[in-house]
Amino acid sequence: MSETPRIALKGVTKRFGAEAAVDAITLNIAPGEFCVLVGTSGCGKSTTLRMINRLIEHSDGEIHIDGRPIREIDPQRLRRRIGYAIQSTGLFPHWTVARNIALVPGLLRWPRARIRERVEELMTLLGLAPAEFADKYPAQLSGGQAQRVGVARALAADPEILLMDEPFGALDPITRESLQEELRRLQGRIRKTIVFVTHDMDEALKLADRLVVMRAGRIVQQGSPDELLAAPADDFVTSLLGGRDRGLKRAALTPVARVMRPVDARLPVEPAVSPDEDLRLALSVMLWHRVETLAVVDKAGRVCGSLHLMDLLGETP
Amino acid sequence: MIAGGVGPSLGRYRRGLVPLLWGAGLMGLLAWLPRAEAWFRWLAPEAREVIYPRDDFTALLFNHLALVGVASGLAILLGVGAALVVTRPWGRDFLPLASQLAAMGQTFPPVAVLALAVPSLGFGALPTVVALVLYGLLPILRNGLAGIEGIDPAVREAARGMGMSPGQILWRLELPLAAPVMLAGIRTSVTVGIATAAIGSTIGAKTLGDPIIAGIVNGNSAYILQGALLIGVLALTLDSLFEALTPRRR
Repeated sequence: MSETPRIALKGVTKRFGAEAAVDAITLNIAPGEFCVLVGTSGCGKSTTLRMINRLIEHSDGEIHIDGRPIREIDPQRLRRRIGYAIQSTGLFPHWTVARNIALVPGLLRWPRARIRERVEELMTLLGLAPAEFADKYPAQLSGGQAQRVGVARALAADPEILLMDEPFGALDPITRESLQEELRRLQGRIRKTIVFVTHDMDEALKLADRLVVMRAGRIVQQGSPDELLAAPADDFVTSLLGGRDRGLKRAALTPVARVMRPVDARLPVEPAVSPDEDLRLALSVMLWHRVETLAVVDKAGRVCGSLHLMDLLGETP
Repeated sequence: MIAGGVGPSLGRYRRGLVPLLWGAGLMGLLAWLPRAEAWFRWLAPEAREVIYPRDDFTALLFNHLALVGVASGLAILLGVGAALVVTRPWGRDFLPLASQLAAMGQTFPPVAVLALAVPSLGFGALPTVVALVLYGLLPILRNGLAGIEGIDPAVREAARGMGMSPGQILWRLELPLAAPVMLAGIRTSVTVGIATAAIGSTIGAKTLGDPIIAGIVNGNSAYILQGALLIGVLALTLDSLFEALTPRRR
């Protein structure tokens, strides 16, 4: 890699007593990359995350941010430059939503007007109407809303790096999915370097540019979701990827637009899928309607292509 | 708290009214007692004096308040201080000891503390203050610990992760969040202190217990009632003051 990685871990080890929770891992994360650490509980993924903002000090090896060893940076100043969101949100219960979001800009002594502006901007960005939510207290929010506030707080001082420790782990599946979608969309706009920890492989596959599978303090395999699905390194990665179910997981990563054929005038317009939906969904629609071909209809309602069962096989050998 | 324009301010005003009323009642009692011989005569028909004569009630009240004030001030300083020290990373080793002491101390009757203070410190105000501090310390320490330990660990974790310094975490997070529980401990401590200070009269401190002790010794029920009335109204005044000061939970 010619570019300096945003975050570089070189032979990083963390020992608690004699036991190594993280064992000599090496990992480079490029600027703007969405990196997901995934593994079973106790595999060291959270410890790795928390070493990056020095909530846990590494025992051995080196961690660099923009080429600079983090041991040289004062921990409090380091953390103010890095966004941090956790599963239980950790919102301050005695502060309003607006004040919670303003925490880090306040610590950095931004002028008041700028803080107010930034808080409103973030609330709007995360779909929390400022007029409705700014003066609410965390106890008055739903789980999904509280997590949005948590993410807004992490982004408040516009950090280059965002660390997220199972942020959606405690949410119901529907809220979780919609927040995942939103995070993906948000990342398309803000292009932060994100390190995201989860044990949920579906979540990892959906979000990651790069997937890092950890086991017992070591990195077992890393690569793009597609690379991992195509060639899992061993049985552990295979089982984590869902074993024989991974055909569907891979299909879920491919949008219809990538494999569809030109418009076939003989096809009826129903049943249909849209070009940005994924192949897994298309297969499901085929199974449901017992058909081998689907029309592809875009948001405007225009037929823009067709999809055959054979096309799905071409994309998932 | 009521939402809307005048609601909160009116609520606050009303809450402040109760201690004010009790305080006025206390003042009224002080002014009325010296002239209330007719009202107390039936309690001690034989006695030469019906109204406690040896000291002015106002002087006794101030002395009583001074004792409790000094003792409570020290107890708050020591109790809150100890609670903070043993919840810091460097003081954690003493946390179990502090919790055990706080729990044990509650089972110790205040009179016993007073009795134990005399042999070592003699008679007068000093042993009374010492006994009051020792006894008043425990509810403050216990509630201080409960208040700080009761904070969701995730909140502290997030605060650290956002880059707050230990001092900022203490002042902006731990103290405000623990305040209602801490204040409840201080309230218990002060209210119990008002009652306990009266027992100080048995070891020579000048308090509102004087008329009560004198009444018991001379068989004069009027004295006892006068002392008891003043102590009771004083305790209620302070208690309602704390009630008004305690922040409302949302």
